[in-house]
Amino acid sequence: MRRFLESDFLYDFLRAPVAIVSFCVVSILVLSAIFAQFIAPTNPFDPASLELMNGFTPPLEPNMYTGEVFLLGTDDQGRDLFSAILYGLRISLFVGLMAVSLAMTMGVILGLIAGYVGGWLDNLIMRLADIQMTFPSILIAMLIFGVARGLLPPELRYEMAITVLIISIGLSEWVPFARTVRGSTMVEKEKEYIAAAQLIGLKKWQIMIRHILPNVLGPVLVIATITFALAIIAEATLSFLGVGAPRTEPSLGTLIRVGQDFLFSGEWWILLFPALTLLALALAVNLLGDWLRDTLNPRLK
Amino acid sequence: MAENLLEVRNISVTFKTRYGILKALDNLSLNVKKGEILGLVGESGAGKSMTGAAILGLIDAPGQLSSGEIFYKDECISDAPEAVRGHEISMIFQDPLMSLNPLRKIGDQLVETILTHMNISKSEAIKKAKNGLKEVGIDPSRLNSYPHTFSGGMRQRVVIALALAPEPSLIIADEPTTALDVSVQAQILDLLKKLCKERGTSIILVTHDMGVIAETTDRVGVLYAGRLAEIGNTREVLTDPKHPYTRGLVESTPRIDSNSFKKSLFQIPGSMPKLDAMPSGCAFHPRCAFASDICTKKIPPILHKRAACWLLENGEL
Amino acid sequence: MLVIIFRRLGQSVLVLFLVALISFLIFRYVGNPVDNLMGQEATLAQRAALEEALGLNDPFYKQYFSFVWNALNFDFGNSYRGALPVSDLIASRLPATIELALTSAIFALFFGVITGIYTAIRRGGYLANIILSTSLIGVSLPTFLIGVLLIWLFAVELKWLPSFGRGDVVQLGWWSTGFLTLSGIKSLILPSITLGLYQLTLIMRLTRSEMLEVMRQDYVRFAKALGLSSKQVNYKHALPNTLVPVVTIAGLQLGSIVAFAIVTETVFQWPGVGLLFINAVYFVDIPVMSAYLLLVGVLFVIINLFVDLLYLAIDPRLRDSNSSE
Repeated sequence: MRRFLESDFLYDFLRAPVAIVSFCVVSILVLSAIFAQFIAPTNPFDPASLELMNGFTPPLEPNMYTGEVFLLGTDDQGRDLFSAILYGLRISLFVGLMAVSLAMTMGVILGLIAGYVGGWLDNLIMRLADIQMTFPSILIAMLIFGVARGLLPPELRYEMAITVLIISIGLSEWVPFARTVRGSTMVEKEKEYIAAAQLIGLKKWQIMIRHILPNVLGPVLVIATITFALAIIAEATLSFLGVGAPRTEPSLGTLIRVGQDFLFSGEWWILLFPALTLLALALAVNLLGDWLRDTLNPRLK
Repeated sequence: MAENLLEVRNISVTFKTRYGILKALDNLSLNVKKGEILGLVGESGAGKSMTGAAILGLIDAPGQLSSGEIFYKDECISDAPEAVRGHEISMIFQDPLMSLNPLRKIGDQLVETILTHMNISKSEAIKKAKNGLKEVGIDPSRLNSYPHTFSGGMRQRVVIALALAPEPSLIIADEPTTALDVSVQAQILDLLKKLCKERGTSIILVTHDMGVIAETTDRVGVLYAGRLAEIGNTREVLTDPKHPYTRGLVESTPRIDSNSFKKSLFQIPGSMPKLDAMPSGCAFHPRCAFASDICTKKIPPILHKRAACWLLENGEL
Repeated sequence: MLVIIFRRLGQSVLVLFLVALISFLIFRYVGNPVDNLMGQEATLAQRAALEEALGLNDPFYKQYFSFVWNALNFDFGNSYRGALPVSDLIASRLPATIELALTSAIFALFFGVITGIYTAIRRGGYLANIILSTSLIGVSLPTFLIGVLLIWLFAVELKWLPSFGRGDVVQLGWWSTGFLTLSGIKSLILPSITLGLYQLTLIMRLTRSEMLEVMRQDYVRFAKALGLSSKQVNYKHALPNTLVPVVTIAGLQLGSIVAFAIVTETVFQWPGVGLLFINAVYFVDIPVMSAYLLLVGVLFVIINLFVDLLYLAIDPRLRDSNSSE
């Protein structure tokens, strides 16, 4: 049965060009982020490698002082943009991944509890979810970010920026996971094998993890993919607004923020290339998520 | 020719899916005479409703009328079925709960329909709408009520009033009573029959209920897997079925009148083939007790203007 | 129906109290009102006196209710930066945000519904497919990127429209409006498109899928079978049924327009409350953050309530069925 499902899944995948292309784009971006230090010509975080003379070099043109050529040009500080994008991509993906993991863990646990235990706990969790859903998640993330900054002593604000960013985005996205898991759990709970598991004396948490969790993983995977796209965009947005990744650890959003400043003076490449990378990433993950949703669970539509 | 109000000639309806092209209707021909009630009977998926939808050009994509022609009053309508909708041929759907626009008063829907087809003033249209409601047994003062305030049976009455409002010559009634309570079914059928007889309107009655066929129709067509299995005078078809499938259908219908009461009901073995797994030759041969070699190879045409069965080739069954 | 309205009102009040609680917690415990007012060099005795005077030693519920009471009187304390009353700051910035949000909401709703209907009716058509594929990019494009790209094209390259600010505004009492001057209207165009584009694609896709769903319904097929023209069928039968859910979702989207106004206002340096908020986050200006949260909370609750009531007004089924409950 499982085998059959998987082969059908593969069958659908190989017949969906959009899914294949998106998958390839995501793979290439992820791999180049992982192996950034081997691919990138320079380390953009190493101040020693920066040559201010190289500043504002257009793509593929030799610098007028040093004669060096950069694939995608350089920014104001002479930082190789190609390298900066690779490292920025790494931060964007890292934040996105961690934020989704956080949201997923939290949502799945709360959803399982709400669905399986029920009662006032269920009520409390779901009302909380309702209230959070009235507010757009980006706003929640900003608010959590602001509060966290307020709670941190000023000297830690920059050091902890990435962690705070992950927590803010993660906490703002748990609701869809919890709702889906709760729904599936309530359906699963009524089935006979759960009653059987209760009869042989398994504990509640054992039943939840061993029997119910595997059955709700399909929709969770779909939501995780879609949330991943949302998290990447949220991260980029916060960083662009200056309340995310700092300039010392620039993500794609930070790079775009920097690039915007040079738009008026004609250095378009500082903005364009990070923007295109972000767009490709967000679009590919979104398309992949859409396809997964349609294939794995048409009802989620 | 002129006695035939509607002639359906060799129509096929196909669906393109990822598994290939499926034939929901295969080379189907039938005709409807003026003033008669033609029943179409068969299991679900046999193509009864599809026939009705095809006549009015209401097949939803990805389905399409891929071949054949439909003639109404000797004019081909299959290219532009919009032209006859309403004032020539109209239709009644299965579920009265779904057939009325929930956001509009029934009076508005009636008046709109009347004004679309008749060149009269609005106040005359309202008068006509009230008359229409009275005829189907609904208090005309309810003109300004919304559909959800009516029961299922009452809604189907409204639907009948709507279908009759443009004064069509033919009504296609697609399982008009299936969704209703048993106690209401007979009332609605009698009402439909009475109003159509008064007006000389023909009916194509789509149903899966042999009892309804027996009580209501003049002639009956039996559909099986998108093909016409048998067609003829209702009394003849029911008392002397020529196609083994029809015979199975008749024998599997419970009767209270005869002494067959004690006997267990006849069952046709197996089930109707799915459209993506149609057997070769006659679609019924895997379930047929009389199947011979030719049945597995060639699709039988309608023989003796009665039944699509190779048994009829060598005389009577 | 009255029952439903009262139940909704009750829920709204509950949500408001919760939002107020969170605002209060942020205001009271994340920020430190004493630090804010005195600076670091104050003596312990001075601090204690101020704490007493501010009521910081009162029981929790008392502090909470005085916070809510003050908020009801539009008193949110002073901003950490510049020490201006927060309510004055917000009042001076609110018109800019409201004008921007309304313009882009109308833009999104109008074009979203029109393109949604078009792509549903012309399903599979050439232009419809182009619109659909473009919308897919639109959904993936972050709001700020849309803004930056629009600035680049229309302000930097073509120099047609201003890239930042509100242009000239006219003062009508305490309300400042940009609708009455040419530069004000020109300044409004790019930010409105930026803010509305995502909602536009969302509304378009929703309208399209709802319309396709409705067109499969029996009452639409019945209307067709009755010989009504495709115009009558599409616009009198299919469209109104489509608009019920669309209006609901579009109304709820107003909330996210307000949230994304923060992003748009930053990109275009639009002097609204969103820009005020993001600066507050940046500089950890707690009273402004807390007041903004409360403001947005009230706004969202009002929007939700309004959408519910609108829903009741549009759909006759709901109007009646609730009274029998």
